[in-house]
Amino acid sequence: MNPRSLVLVTVDCLRADRFGFNGYSRPLTPFLDSLAKESIVLSEAVVAGAPTYFSFPAIMGSRYPLGLGREVAGIAPGEPTIASTLHEAKHETAAFIAGNPYLTARFGYDQGYVHFSDFLNATARDQTTSLRPPVRARWSRLNQSVERFSRLTKFTSAAYNELYFRYCQWRSGRDNLSMDQLRRYPAADVVVSAACAWLQALRAEQFFLWIHLMDPHHPYYPPQEALQSLGISQITPFRARFLNSFWNRFDLSPQRLKRYKQDVMALYDAGVHWVDRQISRLVDALKLHQRWSDTIFVVTADHGEEFLEHGNRYHSPTGLAEELIRVPLLIRAPGISPLGSLHEPFSLIHLAPTLLQALGVDAPPSFRGSGLWKEISSGKAPNYPAIVECVEAYDEPLSMPDRLGRRLMAVRNRDYKLVLHFGEQRDDLYDLQNDPQERQPLPASIQTKERARLLQCARDHLRDERERRDQQLVMRAQLRQIRQSIDLRSSQVAVTRNQGAAKIEHG
Amino acid sequence: MSQHRSVCLPEELCQQAEQWLNGRFDSLEALITFVLQEIMKDEGGKLDQQEEEMVQQRLRDLGYI
Repeated sequence: MNPRSLVLVTVDCLRADRFGFNGYSRPLTPFLDSLAKESIVLSEAVVAGAPTYFSFPAIMGSRYPLGLGREVAGIAPGEPTIASTLHEAKHETAAFIAGNPYLTARFGYDQGYVHFSDFLNATARDQTTSLRPPVRARWSRLNQSVERFSRLTKFTSAAYNELYFRYCQWRSGRDNLSMDQLRRYPAADVVVSAACAWLQALRAEQFFLWIHLMDPHHPYYPPQEALQSLGISQITPFRARFLNSFWNRFDLSPQRLKRYKQDVMALYDAGVHWVDRQISRLVDALKLHQRWSDTIFVVTADHGEEFLEHGNRYHSPTGLAEELIRVPLLIRAPGISPLGSLHEPFSLIHLAPTLLQALGVDAPPSFRGSGLWKEISSGKAPNYPAIVECVEAYDEPLSMPDRLGRRLMAVRNRDYKLVLHFGEQRDDLYDLQNDPQERQPLPASIQTKERARLLQCARDHLRDERERRDQQLVMRAQLRQIRQSIDLRSSQVAVTRNQGAAKIEHG
Repeated sequence: MSQHRSVCLPEELCQQAEQWLNGRFDSLEALITFVLQEIMKDEGGKLDQQEEEMVQQRLRDLGYI
């Protein structure tokens, strides 16, 4: 049967190496491992940017993250996406996003969806209140004085940090919160249940469903059931809170952080396991509602996660290591016999046009990627170099000064990866076949031909992006941001006025 | 910015904008000036060009241009 519908499951922070079909030893993903046997598996899938706000313009709109200029965040108003294209092609569209604030209407991600749930209200519990010990003002002042004094020497500063950390742990431990209470995002079961309810009510013949899950995202608080299922139930909520707080410390050396790395990774793994179980539920629902036989089902991620392999934690755009840019990609399509894993690099810039091609829908001309359905469904992926770009160390999409930092870019083919640090005017070439863990860049005198080839790709990419920039979309995105900044400014003015009025009232 | 120029805008649009201002800006002129200033900024574009030139220079250094 020809595919008519599409389900795209994206998982935040999901590393490619966590799957049994990619060789992981802990059995985290039994369901996806079995699904892989009937799917096209692209084992070298690479994002076009990291983290989330640099990755999703490519996944949704087949556009490089800096394609509209580094000032623009998100999808521009009116920018064609896979959702808007399928909506125009008479597909019913829905999205269920597990509370990621960068994948909301504010950043244009609701475009093309008839139903869009971002679950932000489900995560409105004020975490800071429970995480910060309720210290009385007198003690707070004393604490501030002690802290100031402690900063005089390195030794006293470290001692203060340690004591204060332990004190906070002791205070917060008295709350006795469960994993479910500690979690910052709705767990996969909540999001999948909402999607299943939508599927049950669905009457349209063809649909596009996007689900974004956050379970592997820090802070790592997986459901207790996932920990039990993996045989690591000894990690209590109190312990998980300690591990997350410890892992989030930036005053410690990597050596000290490594002491708890295995336990932190166990929490992360349990999040991945929970995702696997919920995807299994979703597939059951598709089968139950007789949607499975004509639906393309895709699982991928917006980026990976680092656990000190290169000195970094989480997923900040600092080095574009493989742990960050390589993601899983499974495409299960009716009538397609799997031909084993494809080991050529596959940039997610090609994902949306490839899926549209599989559905027989024309991709918009603005899409930068190519439709590669014919190639990958016959077991041949072209060895196109994958380009990954972001603004280095850019952690706050709402801050314009951060956005105007230097570009960090990687050009990766099957054998080599060139990482261009524009801020430091440095390029590092890695031999991925002989040094897959990217321990040491090659000396500048080695493989100059390969280096030049990848530099040429980088140059062509930069030129193309500048020349093909859609100025109308840039203008629309800028106006949206200006409008948002005006609204923010006026709401701040209103708050200040209200505070002033309150003071007068109480004074 | 000492000299000024008059531009023609549809009366209806000006009225709508003035209603929308609602304390956000002192006047329609202030709003339009702010929006134009924001749009004219092109710091990112300058960085794009510098970065393209850096790659060109690197290729020259390697003897490939």
